[in-house]
Amino acid sequence: MTRLSTSALTLAYEDRTVVHDLDLAVPDGRVTVIVGPNACGKSTTLRALGRLLKPRRGSVLLDGEALTRLPTKKIAQQIGLLPQTPVAPEAITVADLVARGRQPHQHWWQQWSDADERAVTEAMERTDVAALADRSVDELSGGQRQRVWIAMALAQETELLLLDEPTTYLDIAHQVEVLDLVRQLNHDKDRTVVLVLHDLNQAARYADHLVAMKSGRIVAEGPPAEVVTADLVREVFGLDCVVVPDPVTGSPLIVPGAPWQAGARSGAASDSLSRKAAS
Amino acid sequence: MSTTTAPRVRPAGYSVVRAGRAAFLLHRRAAVVAVSLVVLLAAACLACLCVGESFIAPAEVVRVITGRPSPDELVVGTLRAPRMVVGLLVGAAFGVAGALIQTVARNPLASPDIIGVSQGASALTVGAMTFGVTSYAVLPYLSVLGGLLAALLVYAFAWRGGLHATRFVLIGIGFAIALRSVTTLFMTKGDYLVAQQAQIWMTGSLNGRGWAEAAPLGWTFLILVPFVAWAARAQRTVSMDDDTATALGVRLGRVRLGLVLLGVVLASVATGAAGPVDFVALLAPQIARRVTRTAQIPLLCSALLGAFIVVVADLLARRLFSPTELPVGVLTAAVGAPYLIWLIVRSRTGGNR
Ligand SMILES: Nc1ncnc2c1ncn2[C@@H]1O[C@H](COP(=O)(O)OP(=O)(O)O)[C@@H](O)[C@H]1O
Ligand SMILES: [Mg+2]
Repeated sequence: MTRLSTSALTLAYEDRTVVHDLDLAVPDGRVTVIVGPNACGKSTTLRALGRLLKPRRGSVLLDGEALTRLPTKKIAQQIGLLPQTPVAPEAITVADLVARGRQPHQHWWQQWSDADERAVTEAMERTDVAALADRSVDELSGGQRQRVWIAMALAQETELLLLDEPTTYLDIAHQVEVLDLVRQLNHDKDRTVVLVLHDLNQAARYADHLVAMKSGRIVAEGPPAEVVTADLVREVFGLDCVVVPDPVTGSPLIVPGAPWQAGARSGAASDSLSRKAAS
Repeated sequence: MSTTTAPRVRPAGYSVVRAGRAAFLLHRRAAVVAVSLVVLLAAACLACLCVGESFIAPAEVVRVITGRPSPDELVVGTLRAPRMVVGLLVGAAFGVAGALIQTVARNPLASPDIIGVSQGASALTVGAMTFGVTSYAVLPYLSVLGGLLAALLVYAFAWRGGLHATRFVLIGIGFAIALRSVTTLFMTKGDYLVAQQAQIWMTGSLNGRGWAEAAPLGWTFLILVPFVAWAARAQRTVSMDDDTATALGVRLGRVRLGLVLLGVVLASVATGAAGPVDFVALLAPQIARRVTRTAQIPLLCSALLGAFIVVVADLLARRLFSPTELPVGVLTAAVGAPYLIWLIVRSRTGGNR
């Protein structure tokens, strides 16, 4: 089953087409991760899935209806989206920013309800920012700020959640924490999540459904164990590597060739690596 | 996660005010500031009515206001009161207009008096004056038309598939200068007496404003009050970046257009009534925001502060060099211009916000 899908989706900025004829079905209740090299159109695709970008051709469908035909507030009650680089109003406090996530559930005469309070509190606890509630967002570290933004997206309480590189500013421990949080949400509340990640190994670990993109097209999609191969990594990222089973999860783990060394022939390192792995 | 009853989180600094099924968020500090401003404003108004060529005791002024017979009826009720009311309304309108346009442009420099709205209103009004239109039944409408046209021009030139705040402000400043020259041209072309009248109007003067000007101004603002109430809430939603706001279900294009339109109309009507009282629209929202420490510019405080600035400036303008009266715009400029310079200097060194 799929609530959110695209059909022959073509996306362009002015006269430059960035995504071509994309057909994507986001599986319900799963974690879908989009990977691909820089500037291949991941964010662009995600923005279109969240109606932030109008399709040049084709359409994005929510429950079979084109997003362009749905009221934006109705969409916001179903789809939450956290952009890659959101900007907070100057001097806003953490709790205030997280509370903005309730916007689609409010009216001008009903600016705060018990449901709002419960959602905001829960979102802040889940992301571990409750202690920061009264701090100004300006004075937080990059990692703290990122978690506040995620809290805002969670407070929106949408069935579909789209996150663009949510781990960018985080240290490794917080990266894992955020990704675990995403899986936990997915599990506890049956949320459908679409993530853009740049770390292929993390993608392979956390995705139920992996989508590999290159130059605005889908190169491969499916369960990570089937999709992630050395050939695919070479094709998509132009990187020679070895794929081994992750010692912890068993998911595919990408190990790039040895670092450059003086005197070594280029490519020799990965050659020897793949020979070793094959034996 | 823990399921123990953790303390509920609310936006810091806000209280919830409930009325039946409705619930409103009230910024506590902004509320305190607003109440203080009302008190200050009342004091300033009283001072305004007492002080003049002849001093009239506060008790007597109160008698006139409450409609009891008084020998000072003429001076207070007919001469000073309407002038003060025009000052109040004009100040409040500039305060709100500045807040709205600054919010949409996300730039404190984008005030109607900097980006050409006031200058557009001036140009058309002075142009009409030099062609012999001096009726106060027509001039205000021309001011609004001028302001809207100027805003439209700036918008058309600044729009390039999106509205970039810095480009918007720079083009606005360009138009403001150009429109000022047009106004000057009209004045040098016009009849000497008309030019002098226009000159006084141009620097923003409340001299000789009576109930004839105050009443239509009051009605206009009364009609606009529901829109301003809408704006106070809508403003909250446009202070995020475009993508985040849209993702939260805000119809950005419409909301922005609505806010800017309201701001331009308010600024133009106010300009039509008192001339371009410079820098009030720039100053009031920024001071209000710093005092209340809210994440967006508080509209009510901004309006009150705008009114306060104009009333006090007018009082000073009347008394500072008495018997010579300064136009109120000269005084607001004396405070506003240094602040503008400071803003520009600061925006060069730190970010573009
Ligand atoms: N707002 C924009 N205007 C014009 N071009 C853009 C815009 N955003 C992205 N692009 C271009 O579209 C292409 C895809 O960008 P993006 O989807 O952000 O890539 P990524 O896969 O790194 O997220 C890039 O070449 C980028 O330069
Ligand atoms: Mg991106």
